[in-house]
Amino acid sequence: MATQHSRAAARFMIAPSVILLLAWMLIPLGMTLWFSFLRYNLLMPGANPFVGFENYAYFLSDPTFITSLINTLLLVGGVLIITVVGGIGLAVLLDQPMWGTGIVRIMVISPFFVMPTVSALVWKNMFMNPVNGLFAYVAEVLGVPAFDFLTQAPLASIIGIVSWQWLPFATLILLTAMQSLDSEQLEAAEMDGASALSRFWYIKLPHLARAITVVVLIQTIFLLSIFAEILVTTNGGPGVASTNLTYLVYAESLLRFDVGTGSAGGVVAIILANIVAIFLMRMIGKNLDA
Amino acid sequence: MGRITLERVQKKFGDVEVIPPLDLTIEDGEFVVFVGPSGCGKSTLLRLIAGLEDVSGGEIRIDGTAATDLPPAKRGLAMVFQSYALYPHMSVRKNIAFPLKMAGMDEEERRRRVDRAAEVLNLTDYLDRRPGQLSGGQRQRVAIGRAIVREPAAFLFDEPLSNLDAALRVGMRLEISELHERLKTTMIYVTHDQVEAMTMADKIVVLRAGNIEQVGSPIDLYRRPRNLFVAGFIGSPKMNIVGGDLASRHDAAHIGVRPEHLDIVEDGGTFSGKVTVSEHLGSDTFFHVAVPGLDEPMTVRAGGEVGLRHGDTIHLAPQSHQIHRFDDNGLRIA
Repeated sequence: MATQHSRAAARFMIAPSVILLLAWMLIPLGMTLWFSFLRYNLLMPGANPFVGFENYAYFLSDPTFITSLINTLLLVGGVLIITVVGGIGLAVLLDQPMWGTGIVRIMVISPFFVMPTVSALVWKNMFMNPVNGLFAYVAEVLGVPAFDFLTQAPLASIIGIVSWQWLPFATLILLTAMQSLDSEQLEAAEMDGASALSRFWYIKLPHLARAITVVVLIQTIFLLSIFAEILVTTNGGPGVASTNLTYLVYAESLLRFDVGTGSAGGVVAIILANIVAIFLMRMIGKNLDA
Repeated sequence: MGRITLERVQKKFGDVEVIPPLDLTIEDGEFVVFVGPSGCGKSTLLRLIAGLEDVSGGEIRIDGTAATDLPPAKRGLAMVFQSYALYPHMSVRKNIAFPLKMAGMDEEERRRRVDRAAEVLNLTDYLDRRPGQLSGGQRQRVAIGRAIVREPAAFLFDEPLSNLDAALRVGMRLEISELHERLKTTMIYVTHDQVEAMTMADKIVVLRAGNIEQVGSPIDLYRRPRNLFVAGFIGSPKMNIVGGDLASRHDAAHIGVRPEHLDIVEDGGTFSGKVTVSEHLGSDTFFHVAVPGLDEPMTVRAGGEVGLRHGDTIHLAPQSHQIHRFDDNGLRIA
């Protein structure tokens, strides 16, 4: 029914929202790009001369950059591994018929509803605190010295916190996928002599491939920009042990007031995110084709 | 070998008894069809034999050994499912080889057996395709291929043709019959289609509400239905069943006459009525005749050249030795 006329009208009508969204995206991006080529420090007001790639050279040659890049990849990779493996495990368990399924499922999903700052603070103060935390109490009961998670293993602790937040998401998607598996396929496999383990490996896991891809892609987008959890727990420290790219950009622009270098860092982060995205699509994107 | 015996086998879902205790023996090499209206428990019975459902009571023996508590894989049976249940992410070759792989067979032997099965089923050209790229009939053959490579004691078919179109169904029916002739393996086939039952079976088991109504060869069931249910279920179009005075003339509560055993006569006859619908099939013509005093129209078969029309009056005379008589309880009177 889409005639030439109605198509033109449709374009005309969606134009405002498209233009708004484009402006919303392009103006900050353009400004970031522009700032990244200026010497622009809020502590030194005055002229902001154009300096070419000086900010980039400064940002990329900073040893913190390499550390934060590695931290970013460790954070993303670690959380992905924990949530996908854990999510598959939980999905398998929750797929079993059991008493109180509804309540258990809601409880499993609930960490996703807690905002990142709150959950990070809960972990920091109620669990990982070396004096008052639950883990410290357990250590005391067992008679071993308390472990100061956020000081001694800052990045691993943050990976743990973020995994706790994202595990429900992975579980939810994978459980839905699991439930869409045709039960006759499992029965056929059972008749064919497949053990429970083989059924999982040869039937269920391949069936989950597409859902796993979706989980990995969506989570990667969000995990590359983890910030709140670091800000409220370790502040990127000790030193730069738990600084990721997002946090480094924040530190440059809002702790050192160097807008120019912060912007350059932002652009670098965009480029790196795209590289990661391309790699991901190459590796697992084919799973999305029907 | 594939002799399957059921002794007092029973199935309950909670308090609901789906299958009351029943006995049945399936001889080695037989093609047995379970037939009945939907919900009669025929699929459940098949799943009990397969081991996909646990029996609530009774004993299942396969070749004399107790199989009641064996898991499905250990019973030596292979099943073809209604939805085919192919593994969508595996190629046809891997699908067919899957049971062999699970049995731990080495790669060389696997390849040999899959090739042989593919040859039997005309699948050689499709071995590298995925199930999603195949037509319904080809998928059906892959499902059968996956069953035959295991060389099972018996094949179980759960309404395997219900997802195919009419023409393909006739073709696959022949292929399965041929396969049975060639393999001589026991086959148990579940269907609600009495035509499939009549054409394929060595032995038909008619089920209603979990009860076995009659067991026998297709021709037995056609000639000597044990009760009104079997009489009405076997044969197409359905047998004409008449009660009341006309039946008591034959010392029965009900009499049944098949459409093909009614003669159209010039006058007289037992029934007279007007033709309501005539179905011309070319070789045959079926007339539906509204007979005054009967609730349901009678069906009569005539040759293809008989040209009666809507509203014509006809007289029908049943062939005297082809009248089936039933008593008050619907049971056949000798």
